[in-house]
Amino acid sequence: MSEMSRERLLEVVRHVYDARDPMPEGLVERMQDAAAAEVSGLGLDLELMLLVEQLEGASVRGESATRRAAGTAYTLRFTLGEVDLLVRVAPGEGDGSRVDGWIAPAEEMTVRVLAADQPSRATAVAETGRFEFAGLPQGLLRLRFEPQDLSRPPFATPTFEI
Amino acid sequence: MATADPSADVDASAQGTREVADAPGSVWERATAAFDRWLADDEEGLSELVGVMTPVLWQVVRAYGLSHELAEDVVQSTWLALVRRQSSIIDSAAIGGWLTITARREAWRTAQVQHRADPTQDEDLAVHLPQQRSAESAAVERDGQDRLWAAVNALPERCRRLLRVVAFEHRPDYATLAVDLGMPVGSIGPTRGRCLAKLRVALIEAGDVDE
Repeated sequence: MSEMSRERLLEVVRHVYDARDPMPEGLVERMQDAAAAEVSGLGLDLELMLLVEQLEGASVRGESATRRAAGTAYTLRFTLGEVDLLVRVAPGEGDGSRVDGWIAPAEEMTVRVLAADQPSRATAVAETGRFEFAGLPQGLLRLRFEPQDLSRPPFATPTFEI
Repeated sequence: MATADPSADVDASAQGTREVADAPGSVWERATAAFDRWLADDEEGLSELVGVMTPVLWQVVRAYGLSHELAEDVVQSTWLALVRRQSSIIDSAAIGGWLTITARREAWRTAQVQHRADPTQDEDLAVHLPQQRSAESAAVERDGQDRLWAAVNALPERCRRLLRVVAFEHRPDYATLAVDLGMPVGSIGPTRGRCLAKLRVALIEAGDVDE
């Protein structure tokens, strides 16, 4: 059976079930409400970290990009309550930049790189509180942290430039 | 050569209906983009993700023979699981698959409980009931659509369930499908092929597809 006819047959199957057993009226709206209520009910709205220190010629939003063209590594420090985050950015040439992070106190969580117009990337924070991303393109990004402990909401850095 | 190509019926009657009839690949891409927007703290991203994937989850969950009420419960618990377990989703490109697998597992569990509680229940009853449709669209669609439906509905129950899940999912995970359908994982692919072949024969007999 050719790929084309298989796709067409599956299209027929989608079509008949869509017509004969459509989702109930208002289901999407009810689910949107339920999901939004769960986010706010659990207190999972994103919290914002503060940039408290920048070392070795860090380039933060708004600053000229010429500085990072020099290719020197720099370090940013962010805090949120008890949480302390150090991010070391090593600008790269062809294969992209590298970000090394240390977060304390260490706990089980996922860290994501969020950059405009690009798919997010994620990794687990190690038991030591360390994480790393390599091959990042130049531009603005944020780091987002999602503790596995649901009593702790996710939090993110402000936007910074690499 | 028979009369019509089934996609002609699909095109004619899908106008103005929901986006669920889109190919799963494009639905999955929209889901990933919406999930990323939500992660970037845009709450509209979550609404959009729910809007894009709820019609798919409905179809996948209903394949397990759950009532409308139970199916809605399962779809809702899938969305609550997403909110609670977002940290377990490492690859945002896999969000569509994560949601459908979560929904299928919950649907399967719910169906098991339901069957123990009421073994006489006809799990396909709801699907056989005629749906309310507007008189105008019904008049235009009836002939072609009834033939397509008759062909799909005449398939063995296992085929209907498998094809319904496979049709709405993008590269479905065979390991979980095998557990749900009580089949060895190696037989999912061949069974899908046999079920599609049966459907093709039924459509040819109904004059709805070229030989």
